Amino acid sequence: MDAFANKVVNKMSTKLGEQLMLKQALALALEKIINKALSLNINDNNKLKPLNEKCVTIILDELAFPLSFSVYQQQILVTSLAEHSDCTIITSLKTLKELQKNQQLTELIKQDKLDITGDIKLAQQFVNVAQNLSIDWQSELAKHIGDFATYKLTRLGKNLANKFNFFKNQVQADSGEYLVHEQKLVVTKDKINEFNQQVKLVNEQAEQLILRLAVIEKKLS
Amino acid sequence: MSTPEHQNKQDNSTHFGFKTVNKTDKASMVADVFHSVAKQYDIMNDLMSFGVHRLWKRFTIDASGVRPGNKVLDLAGGTGDLTAKFSKLVGKEGKVILADINSSMLNVGRDKLRDKGLVQNIEYVQANAEYLPFDDNTFDIITIAFGLRNVTDKDKALASMYRVLKPGGRLLVLEFSKPEHELLNKAYDFYSFNILPKIGELVAKDGDSYQYLAESIRMHPDQETLKGMMNNAGFEQTSYHNLTGGVVALHKGYKF
Repeated sequence: MDAFANKVVNKMSTKLGEQLMLKQALALALEKIINKALSLNINDNNKLKPLNEKCVTIILDELAFPLSFSVYQQQILVTSLAEHSDCTIITSLKTLKELQKNQQLTELIKQDKLDITGDIKLAQQFVNVAQNLSIDWQSELAKHIGDFATYKLTRLGKNLANKFNFFKNQVQADSGEYLVHEQKLVVTKDKINEFNQQVKLVNEQAEQLILRLAVIEKKLS
Repeated sequence: MSTPEHQNKQDNSTHFGFKTVNKTDKASMVADVFHSVAKQYDIMNDLMSFGVHRLWKRFTIDASGVRPGNKVLDLAGGTGDLTAKFSKLVGKEGKVILADINSSMLNVGRDKLRDKGLVQNIEYVQANAEYLPFDDNTFDIITIAFGLRNVTDKDKALASMYRVLKPGGRLLVLEFSKPEHELLNKAYDFYSFNILPKIGELVAKDGDSYQYLAESIRMHPDQETLKGMMNNAGFEQTSYHNLTGGVVALHKGYKF
């Protein structure tokens, strides 16, 4: 019955997703963000050239559909077409985050966190394009709100970031200190063993005393 | 099959919105509508559909299964939204033909695509969907988005598309259709006949054309009828997906 209910729910959510075109909305949003980022990149986008007319498909564990990134000239087109791909990467969002931390593809493949079919060089080139992205946010912001407002806003942002970091470090230090002090108060295993030994000793002494009392009582009677 | 198309087959009349007109007059009347709206077509699409037409078109691309090297016919391609995407996906080995019966729409589409730097694999052809000027078995994919309802003889147009499609090729018809739920149908009717012509009047200075748009949508065959028409034209494995509650449907059929 549970399996049947799951099947019905899955079917309904798939149909709803299709009706609302969630795949297409995600692809559209990604395409806009990526191409905007590429147009604002202060490093040149030469790394895209060898990828022209190539397609890399990513299948994420968290999504029920593929995302294909096709390069055309200096732009990237995002679709959920899976019919043709020069390189298909099967992974999870968590592993994608690790990729951003300069983790090598081969390392992740060895750890079974990533599966690649097709031209592995293309996957590496795509990672290089992502790592090559650098945006001068201050200059971009100044174009819209002016230099002075950008300066003020940037300073405010830096102050807030500093305060947040200070607060974070303070909380970490306090919690560390608290743990160290609390550790002193905690009864260790040795102390419990020592206490148990003492109880055992008292118990033995009490038993000896009872025996002696019994002997004295016998003598008196 | 009881579409107005079929009902009017013998008496040589057809519909233009809710009006009944002579078949020979419809093409020029539709042409007048599109000459009038061509320059404002894209902005009106965004306004009328709240931008959702972009998702409907993306859905069509995703369903097309297009591959590099494919030859694609974007029929009634208008201002070239689908052509732009197909052009990038078929690459330099492929080709996209943007065809439209209306010269004004074709000019707007050509200028837009050239401004985007899309020139290397696109051709422009002024063509009537009923008499496609291409050899048999030419295209891997044919799309017609929001165009079929304006065609005078839809059966003839579907047969013409079937002829120029390669065996193994597919036709995708993206078109307004019948909403699945009665409540949505009523809301959609209110929007189409009361709000849409006013937006047309305000933005494109042409309320009549958008009144025609609303009427032509109501006169267009519903999902099952269009599926039957595609089957009659020879298409196989025909299916359709309702989008946005059936406001729009994407029909797909193969030629084997």
